[in-house]
Amino acid sequence: MRFRTDFAKRYLSSRYGLAGLIMFLAMLIMALFAPVIAPYKPTDISHDMLSPPSKVHPFGTDHLGRDVFSRVVYGARVSLTVGFVAAGLSALIGIVIGALSGYIGGVFDEVISKIIDSFLMFPVFFLILIIVAVFGRNLVYIMLVIGLTTWPSNARIMRAQTMSIKEKAFVKIARANGESPMRIIFTHIIPNGMYPVVANSAMQIGGAILTEAALSFLGLGDPSVVSWGKMINDARSYMSFAWWSIVFPGIFTVITVVTFSFIGDGLQQALYPKLSEVRNE
Amino acid sequence: MKNVVLNVQDLTVHYKISKKVIHAVENVSFKVEDGEFVGIVGESGSGKSTLAHTIIRLLPINAIVVGGRIELLGYDVLSLGEEDMRKIRWKEFSMVFQKSLNALSPVHKVGNQLADAMKAHNPNLTEEEIIDRLKQLLRMVNLPERVLKAYPHQLSGGMMQRIMIALALLNHPKFIIFDEATTALDVVTQGQIIEEIKSLVKSLSLTGLVISHDLGVVSELCDEIVVMYAGRLVEHGTTEQILQQPLHPYTQGLVRSLPDFARERRLFGIPGNLPDLSESVHRCVFAPRCPIANEECFTTVPSTEEVDGRRVACLKVGARV
Amino acid sequence: MSLLSVKNLKKYYSAGLVKKHYSVKALDGVSFDIEPGELFGVIGESGCGKTTLGLVLSRLERETSGEITFKGLKLSGTLKLDSDTRRQIQIIFQNPYESFDPRLRIEQSLLLPMRINRICDNDAERREKILGYMKDAGFEPPDAFLNRYPHELSGGQLQRISIIRAMLLKPTFLVADECVSMLDLSVRASVVNLLLDLVEREKTTVLFITHDLSLAGHVCDRIMVLYLGKTVELSTAKRIVESPLHPYTRILMSYSPSIFKKREKISVKKLDVETAIGSGCVFAPRCPYSFEKCAQQMPPLIEIEPSHSVACWLYSRT
Repeated sequence: MRFRTDFAKRYLSSRYGLAGLIMFLAMLIMALFAPVIAPYKPTDISHDMLSPPSKVHPFGTDHLGRDVFSRVVYGARVSLTVGFVAAGLSALIGIVIGALSGYIGGVFDEVISKIIDSFLMFPVFFLILIIVAVFGRNLVYIMLVIGLTTWPSNARIMRAQTMSIKEKAFVKIARANGESPMRIIFTHIIPNGMYPVVANSAMQIGGAILTEAALSFLGLGDPSVVSWGKMINDARSYMSFAWWSIVFPGIFTVITVVTFSFIGDGLQQALYPKLSEVRNE
Repeated sequence: MKNVVLNVQDLTVHYKISKKVIHAVENVSFKVEDGEFVGIVGESGSGKSTLAHTIIRLLPINAIVVGGRIELLGYDVLSLGEEDMRKIRWKEFSMVFQKSLNALSPVHKVGNQLADAMKAHNPNLTEEEIIDRLKQLLRMVNLPERVLKAYPHQLSGGMMQRIMIALALLNHPKFIIFDEATTALDVVTQGQIIEEIKSLVKSLSLTGLVISHDLGVVSELCDEIVVMYAGRLVEHGTTEQILQQPLHPYTQGLVRSLPDFARERRLFGIPGNLPDLSESVHRCVFAPRCPIANEECFTTVPSTEEVDGRRVACLKVGARV
Repeated sequence: MSLLSVKNLKKYYSAGLVKKHYSVKALDGVSFDIEPGELFGVIGESGCGKTTLGLVLSRLERETSGEITFKGLKLSGTLKLDSDTRRQIQIIFQNPYESFDPRLRIEQSLLLPMRINRICDNDAERREKILGYMKDAGFEPPDAFLNRYPHELSGGQLQRISIIRAMLLKPTFLVADECVSMLDLSVRASVVNLLLDLVEREKTTVLFITHDLSLAGHVCDRIMVLYLGKTVELSTAKRIVESPLHPYTRILMSYSPSIFKKREKISVKKLDVETAIGSGCVFAPRCPYSFEKCAQQMPPLIEIEPSHSVACWLYSRT
């Protein structure tokens, strides 16, 4: 128990971590309570097209007369979902593959390492682009694809952790006790080594959100969904005279990515607190 | 009466760690005379390392010297400013630390680092003079000259330690502290270095302290031994007194803990655990683990008294006389 | 019949996948037998191969070559063991804090191996056994300790629990690798005495690895001295301590800091030698008594007197 409260204390002592946490909670509330917060339905068309921010429409309206504020609020749902699902999938795959590779070693590890290196050299976004263009513009596909192409960085971290943890006495003793390799990996190695992956995942959430926004911006996003990227794409033709239709979704995208970057920072601080300096009196 | 080189009086040092105060050193007093080596012996939490670091004023920022006085080579160490300390540290006195691969920068050759250390205190020396001095030092510690051209990772533990000693002797200090200087070395290497230190100390007429958890090491190098427990000085006498007829129950327990071939297979130890150093207590700090403690021991703080030619901090021993 | 029989055991570590040109000969042809119930000490400094020996005998690392027989069964050649044999060989390590999964409470760390090895039929019975051992080891009240996390206990406490964890499985053979080296002197007794009590009760055979000759001399029945992967002397503890024959053993004895006896230190020739070179005696470069033959050929381990073997040309002609 004390383990976790220490972790929490260290996390909160980081200014960025604290800020990120607050911002995330705000976003979460926005996403969860969208129907309550948003004054209009995101798909409600009106005759009030491309009107600037006003009391009725705090963020103005888009080219179909839809309230930008409401769309931005509902858009949070998409962004957070994409972020968590994609990064979650990436973490899951990365942790399992990294741990197996690091523990089993040998040829298996060689092969996996080469795969990891290849992915990391490759501009993954283009891979995602091609896959989505070929297989379809479904939000589920998009989340899956992002998850399936970003796991290597997590795997690399988990592999390094595994290789160091498996040399520890308690793992050797577990082997002597007759614990099977699978049990050792899932009971001892992953729970002890996964924290740096979690920190990396926080960054990946931001990355996934950006990727979805980029795909939508390029017209490859899911058309049936209200996403910030799509809003930005739709508003391209009008941006010179209706800045609100593109700026607000843009700002929120940036804020979200920054939020997760801050959280990543806080997690780093919690995991690797700086040692106190020794100075002369 | 010999000259007193180091005089520690009532030294108390605390650490602040997240709202708790650790009483690392409590009211420790002892003297070291010219030409003598005093050993400071203790286990984890005894405060011996804090004591050594306080003397040379290299404590971490969360350490507070609560009280006491340290006179070293005529300097009032605790009241000197940082600038003044820097001038005399490594010149008038120096310290040899435990084998630490981090002591020297791994990307610079050993010779260059030693030369830098010399120049820092003697900016007027010529290159030749520096090299001569370095060669002389290497001879003193039984190292070949080629060591100067090597990188730290190319040297063995024993060689690194000898370099640490050479570094400490660089500027002809009069007082030297060995802080666990032979720990983490192999038995044979440790033994060799102890022999070398013995002859160095004699030939250079050094005075100093040997901090160690190892009674054997201290018994070889020191004339007197100070035994510390949980920050307090519990006994201080000549090496022979401490090892042959220890008076304080902790010292007795410690000496008995050493495996003695003459005895039966089971080992002797001291039952119980170290006390919580963050608690301020008004009793003998060793009482909970002491085999002869009585009620008084749990309510009074023992003072250091002269008993049988040495100093002991034990209510039961003082009373015996 | 010996419990464990080791013949010409070698363990080489190599770097490089394709061209294995650099080899560390951690164990270079070690042979000995361990009798049931014996406390067999292995002495040496760092690099002598004692830790490697412990890892290979406990089947955590595979030997490069050589034969290991355990209770008549051949262990060498593969790391695969049937579960009963696996249970019978256990190990304790030097670092008490690394010996426990930091995320598990002590009780969990003790229950898990018992469950895997089907000790007792249910957790209630297992807890009973655990409590019994904890009380024997002096943990009062035992529950308080079982509920804690490793980082909340002291090194001595953790090492004692490490011993308990191993002994709960009722092993026939226990490897103790420097089990008190990281502990304060006054704490060692509680750990060593517990080990002695439990192995005597269960008649467990122990491989006691340490660099501390005085400790081994005190605790062990027989002692084997290793130097750079080779056995240089093997005898009863008494003989090793009272009349060591091999120059290295004699040097070790002379250098073991002791407050009881002032010993004359025997000097070694060279300062530090990392690896053995050439075909001569491994100790020759540092040996103060070496002569021509020593640089040419490694002496075999020969029984000079009953139960006392030495590998040194000073004592054998052939």
